[in-house]
Amino acid sequence: MAEGFRLRVCFRKAGRLRYLSHLETGRAWERAARRAGLPYAVTQGYNPRMKVAFGPALPVGTAGMREYLDITLTRFVPVAQVQEGLGASIAEELAPVECGYVSPAEPSLASRLTIAEYEVELERGVPPQELERSLDALMRTGGFETEHKGKQKFFDLAVALPKEPEVMSDAGRAAVRMWVRMGPHGSLRPETFMSAAIGPGRPVAVTRTELFIEDEQGWIRPL
Amino acid sequence: MNDVWERVEPLLRQVERPARYVDREWGVVRRPDAGYHVALMYPDTYEVGMANQALQVLAARLSTLDDVACERVFIPWVDMSAAMRAHEVPLFTLESCTPVAEMDILGITLPNELTYTNVLEALDLAGIPLRAHDRGETHPLVVGGGPCSHNPEPMAAFFDAILVGDGEEALLEIVASHRASMAAGLSREESVRALAGIDGVYVPSLYLVGDDGVVRPVDDAPARVTRRVLADLDTYVSPTCPVVPYADVVHDRATVEVLRGCSRGCRFCQAGMVYRPVRERPADSIVRDAIASLRCTGYEELSLTSLSTADHSQLEEVLRRLANRLEGTGTAISVPSLRLDSFTVPLARLLGDGRKAGLTFAPEAGSQRLRDAINKNITEEEILTAVDQAFTAGWRRVKLYFMIGLPTETDEDVTAIAALVERVFAAARAATPPGERGGLRVAVSVSTFVPKAHTPFQWDGQLPIEEVRRRQVMLRQAMPRKGVELSFHDAGSSLLEAVLAKGGREAAAGVEAAWHAGAVFDAWSEHFSLARWTEALASAGIDAAAYAAEARDRHGALPWDHIDSGLSPAFLRAERERADRAETTADCTFGDCTGCGVCPGLGVDVVVAGGERRG
Repeated sequence: MAEGFRLRVCFRKAGRLRYLSHLETGRAWERAARRAGLPYAVTQGYNPRMKVAFGPALPVGTAGMREYLDITLTRFVPVAQVQEGLGASIAEELAPVECGYVSPAEPSLASRLTIAEYEVELERGVPPQELERSLDALMRTGGFETEHKGKQKFFDLAVALPKEPEVMSDAGRAAVRMWVRMGPHGSLRPETFMSAAIGPGRPVAVTRTELFIEDEQGWIRPL
Repeated sequence: MNDVWERVEPLLRQVERPARYVDREWGVVRRPDAGYHVALMYPDTYEVGMANQALQVLAARLSTLDDVACERVFIPWVDMSAAMRAHEVPLFTLESCTPVAEMDILGITLPNELTYTNVLEALDLAGIPLRAHDRGETHPLVVGGGPCSHNPEPMAAFFDAILVGDGEEALLEIVASHRASMAAGLSREESVRALAGIDGVYVPSLYLVGDDGVVRPVDDAPARVTRRVLADLDTYVSPTCPVVPYADVVHDRATVEVLRGCSRGCRFCQAGMVYRPVRERPADSIVRDAIASLRCTGYEELSLTSLSTADHSQLEEVLRRLANRLEGTGTAISVPSLRLDSFTVPLARLLGDGRKAGLTFAPEAGSQRLRDAINKNITEEEILTAVDQAFTAGWRRVKLYFMIGLPTETDEDVTAIAALVERVFAAARAATPPGERGGLRVAVSVSTFVPKAHTPFQWDGQLPIEEVRRRQVMLRQAMPRKGVELSFHDAGSSLLEAVLAKGGREAAAGVEAAWHAGAVFDAWSEHFSLARWTEALASAGIDAAAYAAEARDRHGALPWDHIDSGLSPAFLRAERERADRAETTADCTFGDCTGCGVCPGLGVDVVVAGGERRG
């Protein structure tokens, strides 16, 4: 039986700190929790460690607006107090967005979070109409093959993308909002999808804007 | 100040570990509007440089000055430097992403000889002329310091000034002097000359090498530059809010310096000679700074650092108090490189609580005769007792450091290392419950002796590389295989270290030629090429193999004679002679003064916090 108080933190990974790796981001959060003086639980054993678990990894260079971690506390601390403490103990670029408690029996974030929403910003010079046409053309093919670590991998778009991508345009700068399904066998990277649609090397910034839990009622936020 | 981030960022998508270059860590102090900008550089990657405690100490000291910004600089990895050159992005500081060339002063620590070409790489990437005499009025002053300042000659041409000794006070004096010169509108030459008036500062351009090899001042500069020593370490707090890296750096933990100096008197050890006398920090200060540092950084590990931490007269008290304060936080306490004879049962128990960090011992030599010759002052019984205590207390791995090629070493001394390791393994096994013996490991790391300036072995030559390799093979064959992980430092790197450690001013041309030929990151085995270095040194008229192997006249001139470390030459000579007779010399913090000359010469004294040390 899981014990303690399971605190869920929704945080950003933005600005220059989007160049952190998953491991680096995790370490930063563990240290922030120590600096904030949270009553974190530690694991038993030879090398006791903080009980903390993270959502799906965000690649180096990809920003995130609502990433998640769960940390087990040994006693209850009011949410507002936690958020203030953490906010004052971590770089602005990794700031906590929201905190809350979830049931200690809740399955892990990594297994529950299966939908990711991305915003892909493109360099100037890709007109929105042309982008729309390219995405439609790719979607109509139903899937595409790409090389990944020397191996050919086929992406079935009906499975990989739970929703049609949308083209947005802001002051002449084109962007794509897309939703990707994550599973135990990996997920389609937005960069891979975009290069299949419009050729390699075009995205300038990729941001994971939301993560969702998929269940009978639809997509729900973890907090 | 020009922020070049816009030009740096596009490069980050194509390089390994971009976290090295983005700044924004916890604890960063940013003062973009300061009137004076200091860049402090460690000449290796971010991961190695961020572990350097001296830079943290100096940054904390500079932060006490109004209107002064202190920024960090490291050497970009080869993928990043290639991208920077291709896109004409100059070397930049982390805090404000400003070109290093726009700083007022560039401080570079010289931790070891294998970083020398990295210094040139950095100057070139920054667009600063390599040689001090080629720099113009707008270039930052380039000031060196650190361990290698005790023989500064091979790097002298590349520095405007070099500080010898402790920097806590001297660096602030250097900054004050330079600011005063700037305010007075002095030229670069005049500003540099003014630095020579600060105790411990060597201005190479004011000295010439005579035909006799002696370095002499050209005018009124001091004949000898005397090492700076901070009399009382407790004058300043240990930095408690250092920058906390995101990247996985070498020693990723909170550190508190518990004492400086070591007078055990190992005859090969430069640090043990040039950081005298022993100055302990009191237990109250150590505990206060340790707790403050863990709180400010959020680290999960604390290291109590020094050359020989277990020698601290109040270490047990410190560990007991820290264990009480840190209970239940999952915080590990580590003590680097313990002395075998001070590893006691209570110490094993105190360090064994909580998380067990690695345990490292340095017997250095396998036979008692050779341990006596190098003045290690440890018996085999003490070694085996320490191992028994460690494994009884729950450790399952231990790392042992040895050296080959020490003066007076014979084949018997080399094979004695293997025999000792065998007995260590047996002692470890005996102290380990049968069910846990599978995870038992003894790691053995063997380096090659490098003669260093200001040590009793400074006149000795290094063993020729062929002979080093023969002894390595002999040791490998004699070493037990089961449970033992044996590794050797590259003999070629050690040869280069010897050349540069012994070298005079003429070696600068060799360093420059090696860098031009592509030498950089020489401490990284995948980048080191002995052939490239041998050729570069030859072009400067130096036969590397012969130079490293040459033994010097114990009464003749040495390239570092103008650097006064406080040690008396008579003491060093007497110690060298005692080595030949395998006679040991006791540590003055436990017994009588050994007459090394440091305390009277530099006007300082040994500081023992608990009043007494127990041997």
